[in-house]
Amino acid sequence: MQESNSHPNLHKPGSDQTGKSFGHLVDLREVVKTYHSSAGTFTALKGVDLKVESGAFVSIIGKSGSGKSTLINIITGIDKPTSGEIIVDGIPVHEFNEEQVAVWRGQSVGVIFQFFQLLPTLTAVENILLAMDYGGHYHRIERPDQAMHLLELVGMAEHAHHLPSALSGGQQQCVAIARALANNPVLLTADEPTGNLDSKSTEMVFRLFENLAVSGKTILMVTHDNELAERAQRTIRLVDGRIQDEFGNR
Amino acid sequence: MLRARWYKVINDLFGNKTRTLLIVLSMSVGLFALGIILSARTILSDGLAESFATIHPSSGTVRTTELFDEDFIQSVRKMEEVQDVDARRNISARVQTASGEWKNITIFVVADYDDIRVNKVASQSGAWPPPEREILIERAALSVIEAQVGDVVLVRFPNDVERRVRIAGSAYDPAQLPAQIDGTPYGYITFDTLKWFGEPYGFNELHVIATHPENKDWAQQVVNRVKDKAEKSGYTIPMSMTAEPGQLPMDDVLQGILLLMGLLGVLSLFLSIFLVVNTVSALLTQQKRQIGVMKAVGGSTLQILGMYLVMVLAYGVMALLLAIPFGAYGARELSSVLAVFFNFDIYSMDIPQQTYLIQAAVGLILPVLASLVPFISSLRISAAEAMSSYTMGRGRFGKNWIDQLLSGANLWFMRNLSIRSILLSVRNTFRNKGRLTLTLVTLTLGSATFISVFNVRASLTSTVEDMIKWFNCDVMLTFDRTYRADRVEFDALSVPGVAQTDVWIQLPTRFVRSDDSESGMVYMFAPTVHAESLIVSPTIAEGRWLMPGDDNAVVVPSAFLQDEPELHLGGDMMLKLDGKKHTFKIVGTYVGMAFLPLVYTNYDYITQITNRVGEADALMVKMERHDPAYVDAATRALEDHFERIGVRVSMVSTINNERTEAEASFDAIVALLLVMAILLALVGGLGLMGTMSINVLERTREIGVLRAIGAPNRGVALVFILEGVVIGLMSWAMGGLVAIPMSQGLNQALGQAVMGVPLTYSYSMPGLWLWLFIVVLLSVLASFIPARNASSLTVREVLAYE
Repeated sequence: MQESNSHPNLHKPGSDQTGKSFGHLVDLREVVKTYHSSAGTFTALKGVDLKVESGAFVSIIGKSGSGKSTLINIITGIDKPTSGEIIVDGIPVHEFNEEQVAVWRGQSVGVIFQFFQLLPTLTAVENILLAMDYGGHYHRIERPDQAMHLLELVGMAEHAHHLPSALSGGQQQCVAIARALANNPVLLTADEPTGNLDSKSTEMVFRLFENLAVSGKTILMVTHDNELAERAQRTIRLVDGRIQDEFGNR
Repeated sequence: MLRARWYKVINDLFGNKTRTLLIVLSMSVGLFALGIILSARTILSDGLAESFATIHPSSGTVRTTELFDEDFIQSVRKMEEVQDVDARRNISARVQTASGEWKNITIFVVADYDDIRVNKVASQSGAWPPPEREILIERAALSVIEAQVGDVVLVRFPNDVERRVRIAGSAYDPAQLPAQIDGTPYGYITFDTLKWFGEPYGFNELHVIATHPENKDWAQQVVNRVKDKAEKSGYTIPMSMTAEPGQLPMDDVLQGILLLMGLLGVLSLFLSIFLVVNTVSALLTQQKRQIGVMKAVGGSTLQILGMYLVMVLAYGVMALLLAIPFGAYGARELSSVLAVFFNFDIYSMDIPQQTYLIQAAVGLILPVLASLVPFISSLRISAAEAMSSYTMGRGRFGKNWIDQLLSGANLWFMRNLSIRSILLSVRNTFRNKGRLTLTLVTLTLGSATFISVFNVRASLTSTVEDMIKWFNCDVMLTFDRTYRADRVEFDALSVPGVAQTDVWIQLPTRFVRSDDSESGMVYMFAPTVHAESLIVSPTIAEGRWLMPGDDNAVVVPSAFLQDEPELHLGGDMMLKLDGKKHTFKIVGTYVGMAFLPLVYTNYDYITQITNRVGEADALMVKMERHDPAYVDAATRALEDHFERIGVRVSMVSTINNERTEAEASFDAIVALLLVMAILLALVGGLGLMGTMSINVLERTREIGVLRAIGAPNRGVALVFILEGVVIGLMSWAMGGLVAIPMSQGLNQALGQAVMGVPLTYSYSMPGLWLWLFIVVLLSVLASFIPARNASSLTVREVLAYE
């Protein structure tokens, strides 16, 4: 198992001598994920331990197949570990079934995808309102104002009533970020959020993440772009399903 | 060794078993419905023709008032133009049912049951021939008299002799109207039994087969010659009629139903085509990305086309393997049910080859043709575009006015309502407009058919009401001969419960054409015409009803004018009454049955020209109350009274019974139509299920997103169920509209077949609401399984889905 303290800039906030965590928003303990298929068995995560403190902006890098998307999917409950524990905000996510985890995710986690994944028949603001309807964090009377506020936050208020097909890739990703924030989640995860954007849009989207981090949001972001990764507070490098090294950037 | 691309075809077919099953089921349901209707139609038509041929059907019937013997039969048999002749005694008797009700029954007395030469009657069960002092009952009539073989029933002859008779068996007599339809049961006895009832030996009904029975005009001439011969021999002919060549009594109705089945067959053909086009289009849309990949690696258009056509053919073959045996089974079952209803035997249940050919054409050729359109459209886009994952799901939304109306700021006023998932469903509905159109067409046709069947039922009821409202009375009594009108009216009014009476006279007559040939029997009804008359005008098609001062005015059924082209409104009509010709003037035509022509004239005039002044052979009675129980009780009292004073009643009809019987016979037709409508609705429902399943498959990624943003199982399922319901509701609304012309067409077809005129149009609101309930239920069910499958997918599965 890869030790997470191999990097000189390692810091382990919130853990005591026994390794028991306190004050960590995300706590992964010996997480293993193995896929079985007709081609054989493939272990994507080989006993990962990871702790992320509240308010951190963490980037996860690694080559294709290193397990970074699997890691983020496991944290959000999108995928289940073969073994190990996933505690998010004190909640043992690995114990949830598919239904429970969906409801928890809607209330506690904002998920951002590479291909934006806005629902094409809902306008920008309706995409956010749908997430609010499911999450139920705000009273329904408050939701329209909150949704517009989020669109203003990501600079998309003027496109509130546009369908995704009328927006550029960068604009769609901004709306997707606003949607991820719909229920004021404790954790934001993003899997290659700029992977499908041009450099200008990439900069626009990344600034949003930075602003969110400054405002205290906990962000976990998978990226293949080392330059962007270095702009996060902390970077975790995965190699062959293990955390090879981890370093603070600032 | 197979080339690699065929492995892809095999893997596509069997790798995604759910998709294959859905496509095969969608296609096979349409083919199944098509098979049932086409095969049942042929089985019934052939069965009817064959069944009829085996009984040596008569070309016509001549009834005499006086009895005749074998010598007269022999003399008719010797006529050159007569191929064969047979005779029976026909007696209108009455039978008491298990519930104590007296019903009219026609009893045939046959001399030799093993040598019936015309309109053959066969043994169905029990004794054959009927033993002495026992009776056989026609198989369709047992339920009408509420009896079984072995039961003993009380039979009353017109001579007032009552005997308890054991039912020794059942007979099969397809030449008669099925008892459950016209309400008249048929019984069969020997002359020994007749003697036991105190009746003399002798026949009163000749069944004649002309030398060229297939020629109706000739057959009619022959029947007329036999009738002339009888008249010359001194017999009075109260009735003669010529049958339609090769047709059972209910042929008109059955042909009407077969016509409707044909129409429904065409409809289900369309439904099958729509289903096939729908499923194949959806399949190719799904495979667009893979087509792009194959193009990118050098696949030629022809190679790729070949692969998909083979795949589509394989779906067609699998669908046919299901549809053909089930369709054949369904056709045989439906044919059996209809044959029992119309009381004829089916000798062959062979499925006609053309059914297989049409099913194969629809199942194999159409999918291939259907796949060409989406395939060509998928060829137009570049490989890169086809492989792009940039957009989510398929189908475009936001392109036209419907989309604009449903999207964006237009609905912002509803922002405070949690309706986003509803909006998602409604807008998803309009996302793939081609598929929506196909699904809607399928379901709308099903909806329209279902609602139309209810409209036909409502129209039949309206038509019955229209006909019955001519009679402003509760009961009609027919006497065995004429009596003094004032006496029977006075006697009737003395019975408690009788409020008002009226008389008429009814006479058999024939229309004499300008070439001196004569028509078949026409019944002349001569009611009294005055302000308080208990018979009011039937529904007048053209001209007017009779007036008190009319002399030789006559009102005829409009269908009769179509059969006799030389007749027209305002023109003359020569009628033969008691052997004498009289000229009448046609002052009006009315909407009425074609196969039983009744003409109406003024009572006073007819009694005058036939020397029956002051006489009547029928009495109409209006009771003080009109509920069935009261009318039945008062009628029994009236019958008893007439019996005591020696007035012989040969037939009693209460309007309530007439209405019930008419509606019951129509209900049976409607029930059959309903079965077919439900079948079509199921085709539509399964089409919807197929569409929803394909929508689920196409939107698998979106389902993942919904779950990723916190949608619970219920939330995901609701999106698809609501979408199904939206489609169902749209089809309901459109079906309700399409049902207007469709039911008019059905009314026209059925009315013409059964009555010679279209039915009185009526739109059934209960049918519309019932279908709304069913279509919503059907939509929920059709979407539930795909929706449940959608909600059970894990997010990782769906986000990894291609």
